[in-house]
Amino acid sequence: MRAPARFHDGERAKVHDVEVALGPDRLTLVIEGTTLPAPLRWPLSDLRALRGQSDARRIVVTRAEDTGDESLQSPARLEIEDTAFRDWLLATRPNLFARDTRPGTRRKVALWLGGAAAAVAVMLFVILPLLAGTLARMLPLEREIAFGKTVTAQMERLLGAREIGALDCTEPAGRAALDAMTGRLMARQDIAYDLNVRVFDHEMINAFAAPGGQVVLIRGLIEEAETPEALAAVLAHEIGHVVHRDPTRAALRTAGSVGLLGLVFGDFAGGAAMLAVAQRLIDASYSRTAETEADAFAHRMLAEADISPAAIGEMFARFREIGGETPGALAHFASHPQLDARIDAAQAAIPEGFEPRPLLNDAQWQALQGICGADDQ
Amino acid sequence: MTDTAAEPPHASDPTYTGESGPIFSLGFRTAVLTLITFGIYRFWAKTRIRRYIWSSAALDGTRFEYTGTGLEKLLGFLVAVVFLAVYLGLVQIVLTFAGLSLAGEPNTPGEAMAQGAAFSLTFLALLPFILFAQYRARRYKLARTRWRGIRFGMDKAAWGYAWRAIGYYALALLTLGLLMPLATYRLTKYMTDRSWFGDAKFELGGRWTGLYRAMRHVLIPVFGLIAGSLMAGFLDQDWLIAVLPPVFVIWLIVGVVNYNVQSFAYTTSHTTLENGVSVDSRPQTGTVIFKYMIGSIAISLLLGILVMVFGGIFAVLFSGLFQMLEADGPASWQAMVAPAFVGVLGYLAVILAAGALSLALVVQPILAHYIATLRVENVAAIETIRQRAADEGADAEGFADALDVGGAI
Repeated sequence: MRAPARFHDGERAKVHDVEVALGPDRLTLVIEGTTLPAPLRWPLSDLRALRGQSDARRIVVTRAEDTGDESLQSPARLEIEDTAFRDWLLATRPNLFARDTRPGTRRKVALWLGGAAAAVAVMLFVILPLLAGTLARMLPLEREIAFGKTVTAQMERLLGAREIGALDCTEPAGRAALDAMTGRLMARQDIAYDLNVRVFDHEMINAFAAPGGQVVLIRGLIEEAETPEALAAVLAHEIGHVVHRDPTRAALRTAGSVGLLGLVFGDFAGGAAMLAVAQRLIDASYSRTAETEADAFAHRMLAEADISPAAIGEMFARFREIGGETPGALAHFASHPQLDARIDAAQAAIPEGFEPRPLLNDAQWQALQGICGADDQ
Repeated sequence: MTDTAAEPPHASDPTYTGESGPIFSLGFRTAVLTLITFGIYRFWAKTRIRRYIWSSAALDGTRFEYTGTGLEKLLGFLVAVVFLAVYLGLVQIVLTFAGLSLAGEPNTPGEAMAQGAAFSLTFLALLPFILFAQYRARRYKLARTRWRGIRFGMDKAAWGYAWRAIGYYALALLTLGLLMPLATYRLTKYMTDRSWFGDAKFELGGRWTGLYRAMRHVLIPVFGLIAGSLMAGFLDQDWLIAVLPPVFVIWLIVGVVNYNVQSFAYTTSHTTLENGVSVDSRPQTGTVIFKYMIGSIAISLLLGILVMVFGGIFAVLFSGLFQMLEADGPASWQAMVAPAFVGVLGYLAVILAAGALSLALVVQPILAHYIATLRVENVAAIETIRQRAADEGADAEGFADALDVGGAI
């Protein structure tokens, strides 16, 4: 076996025209050339070829050697274009394309992977939430209210309103009943916010709190509530979010975590979807705590207003009837903690010797259910 | 240089032999691997594509070699993530807070501007790192490039680059682009003068004012637009307002491409290696734009065909589903599987193919044009150049990967 080749010695940017041959011991490759001071002998087992080269007619050979650089290969290169010799190398040298890695590489990778994951996790689950909490408290009240109005306006547009206020339900009798309900809940409370409770005309069964004391009940929820107490329970729960500044905290926290997650996932195809899923998981883990705390707040608020805290359980039981509980595997994605646990907690929150006082009379309740106008009833 | 009768001792024209088929296949396969590994494979993907591109370029009979590894890129990325995660998270939350406390709902134009400024500060807060990352990425690419077994390299000076770049770009911005050639020249010189092939140093000659030839088609529309709108205001001529902006905007777009191409040509042609090797570069702006347009049209057509094929299959399966619905009443979820599968598969195929096609039909042809219009003079002098020590590369180009700096390859 003998063939012409081009050789670079790895020390100078020079081409040596050489001849390569199998050594007499059949264990070495001998490289000979007139410009080389002495023939080189490379052990066959150390031969390596460059991977992923665009020119398949040619093979570039080097030798395995720890020179301290990234490749674990000698800087010398042997370019072989001779078909027979190339095919012989490919056929007889199984280690030709071996990937050499330095010992301890796995440990290093594991260490850095763990370190990076830990840093990201500490940021997402400790530092950002703490910072969001602190900053939410520092935000001036009028700014929080202004921000809340922007959020509700966005929500309104999302629900299909052409202009701001188009979805507002303002039937006077219903409005009066809603104010009576809010007044009853707030009678013994002292909170920093001026509550602004609104009703949007949409069939969605939902309610939400926005920063700065904005609470929105959606028509679907009012229609599905079986008693005024059940509706008051949802309202109390949302007031709990307002008092805990949950929406403001969530907005600030998301601002921090979106940029961070974008960094981790990069912009490969599907990266945006990964980001959305991850953000959802993180939000869910936070909001579980937030929901439980809002529930606890609602229990106290209801009891102090002489309404049974069990009303909140009543509403959840109704939700389950309509929607069914999220099955186990998907539970982590749902932002509301398991309904069963919440119903039990509501039952347990009834104080000893509790005497409920009726909340609304039949006429008031009917007016409230028709707050968006009679045509949908 | 070509108009002198005597040819330089020995000039060599580099060649590029990469083909569309192999690079499309490589781009597509690595994109699939990236998708199914949730993005982790992207470091190996980029490495393999570079290996192909580098080994497709040859000078004086020897091909270039890319020796970077996916693993070191992943490690560099992790290092950058640890740092940037903390920094970016804090910056964004604080800036959002500042934006909110400045104005929740902007009531006056002034407030709106202040709020906009607070949100765009995120970009400014990242700018030093983006520029740092650009230098680092270039250093990494050079440190992992070899020719005739000899390493290229670049000095460690990324922060010096970042601060200078901020200063020069601010100057260029404040002068409405008048001093852009100064920024381009000085920053290119900063990088070129710190680059090495083996033990030989590169040097950028020429003058920064030499770039005004390339800059004129940017400056004319910019100042034309300003002068035109002033004139239109004074003369009260509505047709001026209708005609001038579109003309100048198209002129400006072509002008910016022209500046990128021709400033590269100028700085490359004025680059020399210590021992007398010099480079000449004559890319054509028209060719670059033409190749870009032809490639884009071809990609749109191919993707359009792909969408039609998958859309057709989807429609057939879905209409089958509707017929079943009408026939048997409630459909089971199993009936949704086939159309949903085809829908998702089609969506992914289009997204992945788009990336690989742009590599094969836009990036590579333009790169090939740059290489084909390059010439290395006095190539024989290279033979005396000696090997340089390996650059361990610290965090590879982790910051560039984390911040998505660095473009197609």
